[in-house]
Amino acid sequence: MAFKFKKQIFGFMDLLRFKKLVPNRRAAFDAASSAPLPKTYKVNETAKILHPGNQKARLAEITLVTADTKTYTFELSKKMFFRAGQYVELTADVDGSTVNRPYAISSSPLTSLREGKLSVTVKKAGFFSNWLFDNAKVGDEMIIGDPSGFFHYEGIKDAEVVVGIAGGSGITPFYSMAQAIAEGSEDFRLILLYGAKTEKDIAFKKELDALVSDNFKVVYVLSDEKNKKYENGFITKELIAKYAPEDFTVMACGPQAMYAFLDKELAAMGIGGRRVKKEANCVGVRDVKKAVYDLTVHIRDDVYTVKADNRETVLVAMERAGLRVPSKCRAGGCGFCHSKLVSGKFSIAGADKRRLADLKFGYIHPCCSYPDSDMEIIVPAGLE
Amino acid sequence: MKKYDAVVIGAGNGGLVAAIRLLQGGAKTLLVEKHNIPGGFATSFRRGRFEFEASLHELNDFGTPDNAGDVRVLFDQLGVTDKIEWLQIPEAYRVISREEKIDATLPFGKQAFIDKMESYVPGSRKSMEKFFELAEEIRAAQAYSNSVNGQTDQKVMLSEYANFVRCGSYSVNEVLDALKMPKRAKDILNAYWCYLGAHCDDLSFLHYSSMVIRYITKGAAMPKSRSHEISLAMVERIRELGGDVWFNTEAVKIRTGADGGVEGVVLKNGDEIQTRHVIANCSPHIVYGRMMDKVDERIVKETNARKFAGRGFTMFLGLNKSADELGITNHNYFLYDTMDTVKQYDLMKTIESNSVQATVCLNRAYPECSPAGTSMMYFTTLYMSDDWANVKPEDYFKVKDYVANKMIERFEQDTGCKIRDSIEEISVATPMTYARYCGHPEGGIYGYESQYWDGLMPRLLMMAEDHKTRGLRFAGGFSMRLSGYSSAYFSGDITGRQTVGDIKREG
Ligand SMILES: Cc1cc2nc3c(=O)[nH]c(=O)nc-3n(C[C@H](O)[C@H](O)[C@H](O)COP(=O)(O)OP(=O)(O)OC[C@H]3O[C@@H](n4cnc5c(N)ncnc54)[C@H](O)[C@@H]3O)c2cc1C
Ligand code: FES
Repeated sequence: MAFKFKKQIFGFMDLLRFKKLVPNRRAAFDAASSAPLPKTYKVNETAKILHPGNQKARLAEITLVTADTKTYTFELSKKMFFRAGQYVELTADVDGSTVNRPYAISSSPLTSLREGKLSVTVKKAGFFSNWLFDNAKVGDEMIIGDPSGFFHYEGIKDAEVVVGIAGGSGITPFYSMAQAIAEGSEDFRLILLYGAKTEKDIAFKKELDALVSDNFKVVYVLSDEKNKKYENGFITKELIAKYAPEDFTVMACGPQAMYAFLDKELAAMGIGGRRVKKEANCVGVRDVKKAVYDLTVHIRDDVYTVKADNRETVLVAMERAGLRVPSKCRAGGCGFCHSKLVSGKFSIAGADKRRLADLKFGYIHPCCSYPDSDMEIIVPAGLE
Repeated sequence: MKKYDAVVIGAGNGGLVAAIRLLQGGAKTLLVEKHNIPGGFATSFRRGRFEFEASLHELNDFGTPDNAGDVRVLFDQLGVTDKIEWLQIPEAYRVISREEKIDATLPFGKQAFIDKMESYVPGSRKSMEKFFELAEEIRAAQAYSNSVNGQTDQKVMLSEYANFVRCGSYSVNEVLDALKMPKRAKDILNAYWCYLGAHCDDLSFLHYSSMVIRYITKGAAMPKSRSHEISLAMVERIRELGGDVWFNTEAVKIRTGADGGVEGVVLKNGDEIQTRHVIANCSPHIVYGRMMDKVDERIVKETNARKFAGRGFTMFLGLNKSADELGITNHNYFLYDTMDTVKQYDLMKTIESNSVQATVCLNRAYPECSPAGTSMMYFTTLYMSDDWANVKPEDYFKVKDYVANKMIERFEQDTGCKIRDSIEEISVATPMTYARYCGHPEGGIYGYESQYWDGLMPRLLMMAEDHKTRGLRFAGGFSMRLSGYSSAYFSGDITGRQTVGDIKREG
């Protein structure tokens, strides 16, 4: 060695100090408190309010909003705070099997935080939604998951004004936003263009009108009814231009057909990219000739073989067979259903939203994958 | 009841490596992870057209096939290196500090580093050469210690690695001062300190210098498909070796027997797994505080004695312009107020006063990591106190935006690059996010702080003494090797192999 490190004038002092490292650490241990270790921590407790996980909730109130839409208000067992626009997953026992679906929250963030209440507003359409409409009753116990999704205002990148475009039951996240703006838990200006078929189909009209302020404005647009009190037709670029300021962010929530129309209108206005946000819709059935395959599913050390209809997703096949498997967005984007493909062929509905390494190591999102052959997959455990 | 030779709790970096080591040692192994994917912090997530890396800035000590670092050697032994596509990080770092008006960009390679430093700080060469010589010897001493499994012979240490022992008890600053390193060179050299999360009066020189020399001589690496690729590769390997991996499976209790040793693990659904050996990839605070019924008073004291290291905050940006268009020239930026690390450490205690950031533009290492015409950045800071505990839930989203805004402003001011109007996607992780995601106390991402008394050296010297419960060992950021990817991997390697030995001895 070229040189000798010496800090003390007498090099042996350096050695002495080294020898003391262990006794020093022992002494620090000796001097420490023997008070019981904390069971939890403040930050972790706040985290639980932001992400409470699956919790039991009691259905406290059901109100009819329109002829085919009801609001279900739950009493939460844990406090919750979220961003207006987010959704929760609702789980219930339907004829002996566990079924769950994501629904946008229609109540305000502070109602959940301060009163422990949360509402979803559901239109009668689809398996679980129909079941809710016809069967759910006050006093029922269901399970509500974490507030999820990114369909909320993002102050750092969004314009000061949001033009909200709601189609049909796509009104729910905006109703939450309008209340949030009024109560101060969200801070932006919302101009809401709300498309409904007829006057009768407008949900929350009275409530929305009462929320109108400098920061919230609502314009109703009827597609199937001519009515002088409202705008008529579809939500076109002309209509957007009529109400929107110079710079704005578009947030849209509605059926696929509305998005297809809107995309063209926005493109013609030169608006896109970072200024447009659309809430995803759950993956539905595909239109192909029916075939039924065998699906082998590993959950921990259990193995099941179930039937899979190629017109429905792999997730639905597992749920139909009564398996408890994870899901959240049911649109391919959240990765919550992430499962390892052992063998078999499949097709993805819409864009592939998996991570790069998932493709490489053969992971799939069952919520947006249709079986094209017999398949074998390893799935994380679902709700328990 | 199901029975395993060993159960690993948590599939973070430490847990994944430990599981492979157990299987390689012939143990029937179950790895349980509370999330639906492996990796802990080592993961990625998608937003729009971007796939963000969740944590890894650069993997230290990996090197290339012909200049392999210790992590590569470990990965070779585990059988995972070739399952992953690797990239090399182009340069060491750019450090900007306001108080000293430093703006320096340092390259990898010892000679290049020393030369560049001399150009910034004329007259620094001699002290830098000495620094590297010392660091080299420290690394050699560590290799010797590893080769004898920590049972070092004092005579060998004193004759072969005397400098290691002589500087072994000193802090970074004490040694650099003894080497008569000019202040400005010290300031530039200390830029990596926030990666270890203790200031340079506390931080052990052995620890810091062995990290720096690994960076500078081996370069830094990155998996192409983000750290999710490493985590999935490890799971693949565990399954190849016949191990079981259960996701969405939280361990809630470690059951002990009459001898106080491990008898089983209870899962959240109430199922119990019978085992005499557990490797916990979570903190002793959680394990002893919540997961075990009877804990010896000495263990409680030892756990109470430790200090939590930094709580994390990260902002991820997907930008709709390329790095070139935005003028982002570097892969890795450290932005400080001051290079007085004690002062800086204090400023990092509150949300209000902390402006430090370690920022990465991944496109500078891997241009194709995002679509053409776009780029991706992530900005990380640490909080050196529990200030986020003061944030009320109703203020949470506002505070999050406040910090994110401050980070963007700081980056724009210090580098002159304008990024705000190009933000297409943004995601922010706070201590609350980390507290939820990995479950660590206070949202810490760095394990226990490497304070002077609890630095790397005394921890290694007391490894045997710290093991107090039969059948229970720790891996990951809260175990003996401190935090960071490489350290977490090494800790998994050591505890995995130690547990194989335990199983042979104790059954
Ligand atoms: C933003 C950020 C940037 C970073 N940058 C770098 C960098 O550039 N370079 C570097 O080297 N390091 C970096 N780090 C640090 C590095 O990520 C960590 O030190 C390392 O990943 C820790 O690994 P670990 O083994 O402790 O596992 P962790 O990541 O802490 O994972 C622990 C795992 O255990 C699981 N778990 C916990 N409790 C239970 C239970 N009871 N039952 C079942 N499962 C459980 C958790 O879900 C988690 O998956 C960074 C960290 C962050 C957050
Ligand atoms: S449930 Fe969200 S990706 Fe499948």
